[in-house]
Amino acid sequence: MVRRSPILREPLNVLAIALIAAFALCALLAPVLAPYDPLAQTLSARLEPPSATHWLGTDSLGRDIASRILYGARISLIIGVVVVALAGIFGTFVGLVAGYAGGLADEALMRLTEVFLAFPPLILAMAIAGALGPSLTNAIIAIAAVTWAVYARLARGQLLSLRRREYVEAARSIGVSPARILARHLLPNAIAPLLIQASFDMGAAIIAAAGLSFIGFGAQPPTPEWGVMISEGRNFISTQPWLSLFPGLAILFAVGSFNVLGDGLRDVLDPRLRRAN
Amino acid sequence: MSYRRSPILAVIALLVAAACTQPPPSGASGTPQATGGAASTLVWYSDTSDLISLDPAVAYEFTGVLLAHNAYETLVKFEGADLSTIKPALAQSWDIKDSGSLWDITFKLRSGAKFASGNPITADDVVYSFQRVLKLNKSPAFLFTDIAQIKDTSIKASDSSTVVISLPKTASPQGFLAVLTFTIGGVVDSKDVKAKETAGDSGSGYLLDHSSGSGAFVIDHWTKNSEVQLKANPNYTGSPKPALGGVLVKHVPESTNQQFALEKGDADIARNLGAQQITALQGKPGVVTTTGNSLQLVYVGMNVTVKPLDNVNVREALRTAIDYDGIVKDLFKGGAKKVQDIVPAGLAGYNESTPFQADVNKAKALLQQAGQSAITLELLVPTGPAPGGVAWADLAAKLQSDWKNIGVTVNIKQTTQAELLGTYRAQKGQLVMILWGPDFPDPDGNVGPFTDFAAKSIAYRNGWDDKTIAAKGHDAALITDPAKRSAAYKEITEYVLHNGPYVVLYQPTEPFGLRSNVKGFVWSPMDWTDFAAISK
Amino acid sequence: MRFLGFLVRRVVGIAAVMIGVSVITFAISHVIPADPVAAALGDHATDAQIAQFRAEYGLDRPLPEQYLIYASGILHGDLGKSIRTRRSVADDLADSFPATLELSFAALLISIALGVPAGVWSALYRGRMPDYVVRVLSLAGGSLPVFWLGLIVIGLFYYQLGWFPGGGRLDTFVAPPPTRTGLYVLDSIVAGDLEALRSSLVHLVLPAVTLGYFSTAVIARMTRSSMLEVLGQDYMRTAQAKGLREPVIVLRHALRNALIPTVTIIGLTFGSLLSGAVLTETIFSWPGLGRYATASAVSLDFPAVLGVTLLAAIVYPLANLVVDVVYYWLDPRIQHG
Repeated sequence: MVRRSPILREPLNVLAIALIAAFALCALLAPVLAPYDPLAQTLSARLEPPSATHWLGTDSLGRDIASRILYGARISLIIGVVVVALAGIFGTFVGLVAGYAGGLADEALMRLTEVFLAFPPLILAMAIAGALGPSLTNAIIAIAAVTWAVYARLARGQLLSLRRREYVEAARSIGVSPARILARHLLPNAIAPLLIQASFDMGAAIIAAAGLSFIGFGAQPPTPEWGVMISEGRNFISTQPWLSLFPGLAILFAVGSFNVLGDGLRDVLDPRLRRAN
Repeated sequence: MSYRRSPILAVIALLVAAACTQPPPSGASGTPQATGGAASTLVWYSDTSDLISLDPAVAYEFTGVLLAHNAYETLVKFEGADLSTIKPALAQSWDIKDSGSLWDITFKLRSGAKFASGNPITADDVVYSFQRVLKLNKSPAFLFTDIAQIKDTSIKASDSSTVVISLPKTASPQGFLAVLTFTIGGVVDSKDVKAKETAGDSGSGYLLDHSSGSGAFVIDHWTKNSEVQLKANPNYTGSPKPALGGVLVKHVPESTNQQFALEKGDADIARNLGAQQITALQGKPGVVTTTGNSLQLVYVGMNVTVKPLDNVNVREALRTAIDYDGIVKDLFKGGAKKVQDIVPAGLAGYNESTPFQADVNKAKALLQQAGQSAITLELLVPTGPAPGGVAWADLAAKLQSDWKNIGVTVNIKQTTQAELLGTYRAQKGQLVMILWGPDFPDPDGNVGPFTDFAAKSIAYRNGWDDKTIAAKGHDAALITDPAKRSAAYKEITEYVLHNGPYVVLYQPTEPFGLRSNVKGFVWSPMDWTDFAAISK
Repeated sequence: MRFLGFLVRRVVGIAAVMIGVSVITFAISHVIPADPVAAALGDHATDAQIAQFRAEYGLDRPLPEQYLIYASGILHGDLGKSIRTRRSVADDLADSFPATLELSFAALLISIALGVPAGVWSALYRGRMPDYVVRVLSLAGGSLPVFWLGLIVIGLFYYQLGWFPGGGRLDTFVAPPPTRTGLYVLDSIVAGDLEALRSSLVHLVLPAVTLGYFSTAVIARMTRSSMLEVLGQDYMRTAQAKGLREPVIVLRHALRNALIPTVTIIGLTFGSLLSGAVLTETIFSWPGLGRYATASAVSLDFPAVLGVTLLAAIVYPLANLVVDVVYYWLDPRIQHG
C-alpha cells in the first residue's frame, strides 16, 4: 500500500512547500530569470508603475523591481539558511554538551542561554550590528546570536528526556558506546523539535534582517535585500506605493510558507513524539 | 466566564468610541494655549535628534543652533539670507583699531536693549557670556580659542555699554566678526544665569533647556524627544517684532510623515523633505515648496598617502570621469548646485569655474600619462541620506559606475557616520565621501581646513601636506581689502581645483515644504531662519 | 512559605541573568572599531576637547575597571551618562520608557481582546470558513514585517482616510496631563482631563494595532490549539452527553483551561513587543525606548545602549515572573521545582 506522506495531506502544506520550492528556485536561478541587472540604474526610467517592460515597475534610480526581488530572494534564502545553520549547529552543540555533561557545566551553560534569551532580539541585534558596523554579514551574525539559545535548550531537553528511554538503557547494557548512542538513537529523535524550530526561524531570520536593514543596521543600499527595498520605498508611499508594497509581499509569502511548513511539521512530528512518551 | 471578557470588550468599545470622534480640523484643535493657540503658533516639523543643548555656548548642531539663534541676540548679525554685509544687532556700532601688537575691536551696545527678563543688557553681560564659552570649552568653543585666538583676558568692559575685544595679529578681525554672528556670540542674562548656576557649571545645566536671552522668542519648554516650544518675547527690543505668538518644533524624523502632516495641515513647515517628497507635493492644494541655500559642500576626499592617489594625474583623472550634470539633474532633480571649488556659493572667494564634466577619453589619457591601468580603491560612504535627500549609497553607486567607465574599480564600504569620521580622522581612508560646512561664514572657514595640513582638519585627513598653499591660505585670511582678498582666494581655489585631493560634487540646496498661508520664511545659509519674520 | 522560597529563588535568578546581560552588552559595546567620542563631538572637535570628553566619561581607563565602575554605579541607580544626549542615562530612560510601556500595554490589550475571541471562534468552527479566515490572518500576522505594516497603516488610515493621526502621542495643541505614571491614558483619567484622554487614546490606536498584530496572531493560534485540545477531551464529551448547552460548556470549561497556556504566551509576548516597538516607534514618531535605542546604537552611544538593554532585558524575566505568579494562583497544583 502506498502511503502519502502525512505532511502532504493538508493542502495548505502542499501550497507552502510549493512556494518554498519556488522561492528557492528564484533564489538559485535569479541570474537566469531576472530580466534586468538589479543594480543597473536607468535614470531616465525612474519610478515607473508596473508595465509590460517592467512587470513590477522601477524604483527611484530606474532599477527594475522584479529583478531586484528575484535577487532579494537569493539574499533572503542565504540569510535564512546561514542564520539557522549557525544558530542551530552552535546551539544544538551547546545543548547536547550541557545535557550530556550535566552538573556544573550544565548549570553554567543553561544560565548562559537564559541570559541570551532575556535580550529582546532586535535590541541585542542592533547592539551587535551597531558595534560591528552596518552590513548584511554583521546582521546575520547578530541575528544568529539572538537565535542560538533556543536550540540549546531544545537540544538539551530532548537529550534529557530521551536518554532515559528503554532502548538507550538496553543499548547501554549491551555495551554500545556513548558516541554511537548519540548518533544512532538520540540525534534522529531529538531532531524533530529542532527542525520545527528551524522552519520557523528561517522566516523569523528573514524578517529580522529586513528590520535591521530598515533602520540602517543590516544590508545597505544598493543591495536588493527586501528590507532595504522597503526602506528605500518608504518615502514614496504616497505616490509610488509599489516600491515598498512588492518587497513586503515577497517577505509575506516567503516567511508565510516557512511558517506553514513549521506548522505542518509540528502536526506530523509532534503527535508521534507525544505518543512515544 | 463571560464576565472575564466584558472588561476587554469595554476597552475595545472605548477605543472604538474614541476613534469615531474625529479630531477637530487642524487649526482649531485642542485647548488654546497661552500663546493664542493654533492660529498664531507656527508648527515646524523636523528631525531634531541632533538636539543636545539650547545653551548658546554649547549648541553646535543644526537644531540647537536654530533655536538658540531665535532666543538670543548677538553683537552683530546678517540680515536674512544675505551673508555679504555684517549688520548691527546688539552692538549699534563697532570699530577695529590696530594697536600694534593686537587688533582692538570696540563694540558700543544698543541703548535701551533689554533681556526677556526685563534686565537691561550691559557690557558685563557680554563679558560674562563670552568668558563662559571659554570656560565651558564645548564643541563651538574652538571658534573663540582657535579661530579668534582670544582668551579670558581679551574680553573687557570699558564701561557699561562698551566692550573691547582684543585679537592677536595672527587672527582675522573680519573673521571674528563673522564668528560673532553665530550662536556662540549669543548674549545671556548674566544676573539670571549666575543665580541658576549649580556646581560651577556656568548655568549650562539650566540653559540646556531654558533660555535667558534677549531674542525675539523665549524657550517655553523642551519635552525631550518630542517637541520644543518657543513663545514670543514680550520684552523684545530688537526688530522686526515677531508676528507669531509662538513656534512649536516637533520631532518627526520620518520625512514621509512630515510630508503627510504638511498635506493634512498638521504641520506648517516641514524641514527634512527629500527630493521625492518635494515632487509629491507639487500641485497639492494648500502647500508650496521653497528652497534655501546652504554653505555645505559634498565631496570625496582622496588620501594622497595611498598609491596611486599620490599622482596628481590620477586624481585629475578621477575628477574628470564624473558625470556631475547627471548627478545634479537626475539624482537631485535640480536640488543641488554644481560646484567644484572648495568655497561654496554665497561666500566671498567663491570660484564658479566648473571645468570638470564626464570626459572618459581625457580621463583615460590622464591615467595613461600616470602610467596606471587597473586601479582598485575603496570608497568609504556614510549610511543614510546625503544633503539634498538622496541616499549616500545611491550617490556612491553613481560614482562607482562613472569610475568604472575609465577602468577604475571602486568598492563601496558603508559605515555609520561615527565610524567613518573615526577612520577619516585617523587618515585611514582611501576615498571618503562626506560633507563639509564652514563654521563661520567666511571663506577661511573652508580654505583653512582644506589647505592647511597643520590644522589637522580635512587636508590632514587626506594626507595632503602642501606648505605653499597652506601659507597662501593663512595670508589670504588676514587681507582686509575685499578686492585683494577675492583675488587671493581665486588663485588658491584654482590651484586646489587641479592639484588638491578633492572631488567636489555639489552644493546642496535645502528644500522646504510650507503651508501656503505661511509668509515671510527665509532660510539663511547659516542653517537657520528668523522665526520673527514669519507670519501665517 | 514555599511561595516565598520560589519567589526569592526567581529574583536571585533574575539578578544573575541581569549580570550576564550587562557583561555581554558591555563587551559588545566596547568591541566597536570606531571611536564614538569623536563622532559625538563632531567634525570640528579639537584633540583637547576629545581628551576632555574621554576623561569625563571615564573612557581612558582599562576595560575591566570601566565595567566595575559601571556595575557599582548601577547599584546606586546610576546608569552613566549618555554620550549623545549628555544627560544621565537613567533620566533618558525615565523619559522614554513610559511611552513604550503604554504602547506595549495597549498592543497587548488589543492582542488579547482580538486574539482570544478569534482563537475561540476559530476552534468552535473548525474546518469551516471562520477557521480558515482566522488561520490565514494569523499566518499573515506572523509573517509580515511590522514596519511594512506600519507604513501601510499610516498611508491608509492617516493619509488616505484621515481616520487617525499619523504619529506622536497627543494632538499638537493638547497639553499632556500632569505626570504621575508617564502613561498618558492613566494620567489623564487621574487628572480628569477628557481632552488629553481622547487625544492619547486616538493616537494609541494605529501604533498599538500595528505593534500588536504579531501578538494577536500568536495568541489566536495558541488559543485555538488549546481550545481544540480541550474540546476534544473526554470530560468535554461527558459534559456534552449530559446535555449541557454548548455555549455554557465552552465558556465555563474550555476557555478557562485553554487560557492557561495562553497566559504563558502573554509573558513571552511582552518581551517580543519591546523588539517590535523599536520599529513601530520609528514609523509612528513615538518618543519611546525603541527610538532611543535606535538613536543610541547609531551613534555608538554605549552607555545608553547598555542602559536600554539592561532595562529591556529585565522586562522579559519580570514578565515571566508575573506570569508564573499568576499561574501559581490559577492552579496551586503546579509544582515550582
